[in-house]
Amino acid sequence: MPQRLLSFLLPFSLLSWGVLLLSALSHSGAGPWLGTWPDWATQLAQGAFVLGVFLYYRYRPSPLQGQAFIRLLRRLLAGPGLLALGCIGLHLLERLMKNQPVFGSNSLLFTSIYTLNLGLFVIFLARTNYAWRALVLFRSSPRLQREWTIFEVLLGATLLFRLVGVNPPNYLSIPLVVGLGLYGIYLSGHQKWVAYLSQREKWRAVLLQAGLLFSVLVFVQYFRVTQVDPQLIAPQPQYAFLLLTAFFSAFYALMGLLVTFFNLPIADVIEQRRNEILRLQRLTQIIQRGQTTAEVYRILLESAVQTVQADAAWLDLDPGHANVEAAAATQYHNLNPAQADDLRTRLRGHDLPEGEFITNDLNARVGFEGTVQEFRSLLQLPLRGLHFNYGMLYLLKVKPHTFDREDLSILQTFTSQAVLSIENLELVRTSLENQRTQEELKIASQVQDSLIPKNLPTDNWFDISSHSLAAKEVGGDFYDFLHLPGRRLAVIIGDVSGKGVTAAFHMAQMKGIFHSLMQENPLAKNERDKFPVPSRFMAQANAALTHCLEKSSFITSSLYIIDYEQGGFVFARAGHCHTLYYHALREEVFYFESTGLGLGIIRNESYEKHIKNQFYDYSPGDVMVIYTDGIVEARGGDGTDEYGEDRLKLRLEESYFQEAEDIKNFILNDLNAFTLGHPIHDDQTLLVIKFKSAQPPPLA
Amino acid sequence: MKVTAQPSADTLTLLLDGELDASSAIVLDTELAKPDILNYRKVLVDCAKLSYISSAGLGVFISHLQRFQDANVKLVFFNMQEKVFNVFEILGLDALMTIVPSAAEAEAA
Repeated sequence: MPQRLLSFLLPFSLLSWGVLLLSALSHSGAGPWLGTWPDWATQLAQGAFVLGVFLYYRYRPSPLQGQAFIRLLRRLLAGPGLLALGCIGLHLLERLMKNQPVFGSNSLLFTSIYTLNLGLFVIFLARTNYAWRALVLFRSSPRLQREWTIFEVLLGATLLFRLVGVNPPNYLSIPLVVGLGLYGIYLSGHQKWVAYLSQREKWRAVLLQAGLLFSVLVFVQYFRVTQVDPQLIAPQPQYAFLLLTAFFSAFYALMGLLVTFFNLPIADVIEQRRNEILRLQRLTQIIQRGQTTAEVYRILLESAVQTVQADAAWLDLDPGHANVEAAAATQYHNLNPAQADDLRTRLRGHDLPEGEFITNDLNARVGFEGTVQEFRSLLQLPLRGLHFNYGMLYLLKVKPHTFDREDLSILQTFTSQAVLSIENLELVRTSLENQRTQEELKIASQVQDSLIPKNLPTDNWFDISSHSLAAKEVGGDFYDFLHLPGRRLAVIIGDVSGKGVTAAFHMAQMKGIFHSLMQENPLAKNERDKFPVPSRFMAQANAALTHCLEKSSFITSSLYIIDYEQGGFVFARAGHCHTLYYHALREEVFYFESTGLGLGIIRNESYEKHIKNQFYDYSPGDVMVIYTDGIVEARGGDGTDEYGEDRLKLRLEESYFQEAEDIKNFILNDLNAFTLGHPIHDDQTLLVIKFKSAQPPPLA
Repeated sequence: MKVTAQPSADTLTLLLDGELDASSAIVLDTELAKPDILNYRKVLVDCAKLSYISSAGLGVFISHLQRFQDANVKLVFFNMQEKVFNVFEILGLDALMTIVPSAAEAEAA
């Protein structure tokens, strides 16, 4: 809509000005061909022209772009200001030529120039008015915007005075005009934009506005002179409207000039505040750019010095907390370390207050008696973190009594922002580190997972099912299988004391020990001695572990060597959980009662006395349940109840007839039901071995 | 977990109260690691109020076992709850350490 209106308004204004010119000329006796137009035609053309121009500028894009106030003023002066100059030029030209009859009727020339000037004046007023609108409405409230619209509507209404051809009586028009004038004064009070000028810009603004005022005065003077000129035959222009807009234009420029002018003395204070904000912003942005802590401290020192205009400064950082290298732990500005040392010693010698304080005359301070200090004022401010102070900032000025509470409070904002940045950087760093550790743990977890046998041994004489779950990413539980010649199978289970990475290392070690000890001994005299019996294995493992296990760690383990040909197995229990067994012939579930000491508890040969082999003959249908203490010590109920051996035994009594896999699942389901809602706090391993007859029994 | 030491002429009695797990094991280790503990002839550990012992807790006793033996200091446990005794027994520590039912027997040991 505004675009279409704009393209229509320009020719409309030009046309109405043309009509205005013709009608004016008709009055000045241009010739019989023109005749004499009625007054209302002139009034109508005038009104249409004014309306067209004002609407044109109203719908143009705002002359204010961003905060380019000076540019707006400059363009206003370069445009309408030049118009005013043109106006004077035309006026002078007309004065020069009015005695030269060569140009025909004087009245004709006079009227032409008058009409042209009137046009220029209207354009000038329209541009100025709408430039002022942009400034009045800069960062304004909706209320002010409504007030401005009312002002425009009322101004427009005054145009109608002449258009309808009636002159309202004075008692009505004068209060209305005066009221609108006061309204304009009220609007001229809105000079918020001045606050956004820098000191230099303010000077320029003052000059530009003075220029604008001058332009307005030139126009006004011209019309004042021509108004009384007897040669002016044309009807009176739209006085009420032009008077009001001219008044508003001039008054706003005057107000702006005064406001800007009286702002000049405090301009530097405002500028300083703006700089403080900018510095604070810079400090805030550092963290987003991921800069180092050392950089944050450097910028803090720099900003602090600039903000309070200190003559010298230094920053003491606590190397324990500030996370900077020792070399960067003290930073100086315009001060040599010896001076700082001297001040520090003197200050410290006399119970230095922990917090922030200002010393207004160092010469008079305790500890400085009789000295002549280069710097008389000192401001001290700690860098307070959540849990500790990162360091202390000292600012110095040559003159005494130069720091105030205001300085302290702005600096406090700086230091807390710096501390915030430091703490954030620290957080980012630790979270990255954590992430890396997590990644490494994930790898460790994968490696450990590969140590646990995935393919369980299969044969037709037994059936195995296994389960293992670590409490953390990696754990200390392990189990393994090894086929030995002569249809024998070695099964080992173990549990390293402790949890997590340490336990996982020992678990890997134990697996290595298992595989290296379970090697065929070529010197063995008979077939059975080629592989160590479980007790011998445990003694050798204990000896091997002596040097690789830290003092307070130990390993519990059970090794079973199952011999299908003999239909029996031999095992040794080195402090590991008792083996749960279902005896098919006796239809009985029991725990093997055997003794045996954990590995790594006694670290000499005497260990062998503490470990025994136990032999047992199995029959098809027997079930062996091997597990780690993570199963029987799993917590449930109120957190103190343990799953326990008894409950495990009951579950086997209920499930021994099932396949190994089903027995395992039956037990695990019960365990999960028991521990529901409790985190697993120890690694869990469960192996179920079910013995079978070699061939399926013949069908009856 | 609370560890209270009660010294007498040639005997030091340690009262354990609570659960002995990885976090509380440090408290006990500090107590047992004191050099002057080896000046006693006997160290009696009252387990009446010890409700649970983890492998880390056992590890503390195991790590000091050799040191006590070398210095000829007897380590005697008494008043042990059945649940805790089971843990000692499964690991085979009952054969290695002196565990007696009552204080009187501990004094006599």
